[in-house]
Amino acid sequence: MAKIIGGLGTSHVPSIGVALDRGLRDTPDWKPFFDGYVPAQQWMRDRRPDVAVVIFNDHGNAFFLDKVPTLAVGCASSYRPIDEGWGPRDVPVFEGAEDFSWHFVDTLVENHFDPLVCREIDVDHGMQVPMELFFGRPEAWPVKVVPVFVNTIQYPIPTPQRMWQLGKVLRAAIESWPTDERFVIMGTGGLSHQLQGSRAGFINRDADQAWIEEIGNDPQKYREMMREDYIRTFGSEGAELIMWLVMRGAMDERVETVHKHYYAPASTTGAGMVVLENRG
Amino acid sequence: MDSAVSAPADGTGTIPETPLLDRKRNIAGYRINKMAMALSDQRNREAFKANEEAFLDSYGLTAEEKAAVKSRDWREMVRLGGNLFFILKISAVDPVPITQIGAAQAGMDHTEFLTERLGKKLNG
Repeated sequence: MAKIIGGLGTSHVPSIGVALDRGLRDTPDWKPFFDGYVPAQQWMRDRRPDVAVVIFNDHGNAFFLDKVPTLAVGCASSYRPIDEGWGPRDVPVFEGAEDFSWHFVDTLVENHFDPLVCREIDVDHGMQVPMELFFGRPEAWPVKVVPVFVNTIQYPIPTPQRMWQLGKVLRAAIESWPTDERFVIMGTGGLSHQLQGSRAGFINRDADQAWIEEIGNDPQKYREMMREDYIRTFGSEGAELIMWLVMRGAMDERVETVHKHYYAPASTTGAGMVVLENRG
Repeated sequence: MDSAVSAPADGTGTIPETPLLDRKRNIAGYRINKMAMALSDQRNREAFKANEEAFLDSYGLTAEEKAAVKSRDWREMVRLGGNLFFILKISAVDPVPITQIGAAQAGMDHTEFLTERLGKKLNG
């Protein structure tokens, strides 16, 4: 059966992609941020996953407000990077793990989750940026992908507990997939930031650092926090962090945080990552 | 028990100064957001640049909404129900850094926003 070899959490701030496009990687504003991902990129090269399941939110690019799915799963053979308004980015097309995607949809529905099934859909920075942070900018991505879209923009957004449960079902799908493929799961978004209202620019470095420290070995309190607590603690857009719980919920009860990084501000956001491995 | 989150646009909700895209704001901001969403398409960006007034009219914006867009009043666009992820596309046609959009909403000048809100050290 297929196997989960790692759980990754990361920010997906669009300015990260812009910084790479403009050759700003080694400028003082960005170098400390990108340098923190170097060990995670090495981990990825050493561990050689076959498939990446990426949990992210669309930011008004693939979906408009006319139709907003709370949960959607890509079931396509490929996914193009979307034009968000600044023109198309020079990022390779993503090859889909199409057969696994369908198996995941089957497993979801059997377990009382009802996703929107997407046969054609483009992906925005929510998926592009995590892939660039962990794999750099190769000519072709070294993994197939499964995009999982969670609504974190239009209220009501799903609850943290539901995200954890989604992770449990994702794990069941991977562990019942009859191949020897090696999976990584990326929970993306956050950390603290707020883009709207007079609280715009809100960053909570202490809470962010606690999250990075604790999401591996002490995730219980983050499951139990209400959505409102996420918004208060991490800002309105920082509530994206609930998507890391999908990744964490899919991992063992015991994990080791083998790499971690935090830097603020990346653009207007507290930004960081963890790499978790299962320990039983 | 988890409970639904709702914060009115007027800032009197349970989370201060935080306009969430709830039902009320979704309905109020639909025209502005739909117009801004269209700017993801290169042809619409060109139409917007060529004749902004006509472009805004074609999406049925009210006079108040048009005034907010034309003056690039980010705080007012959000007050009227505009959501940042959509109205940000206006800044792709007519470039403004996101930190300046943040500063406008916070009611701060740009440098003050960078140092006090984001904790950036300038000239350091």
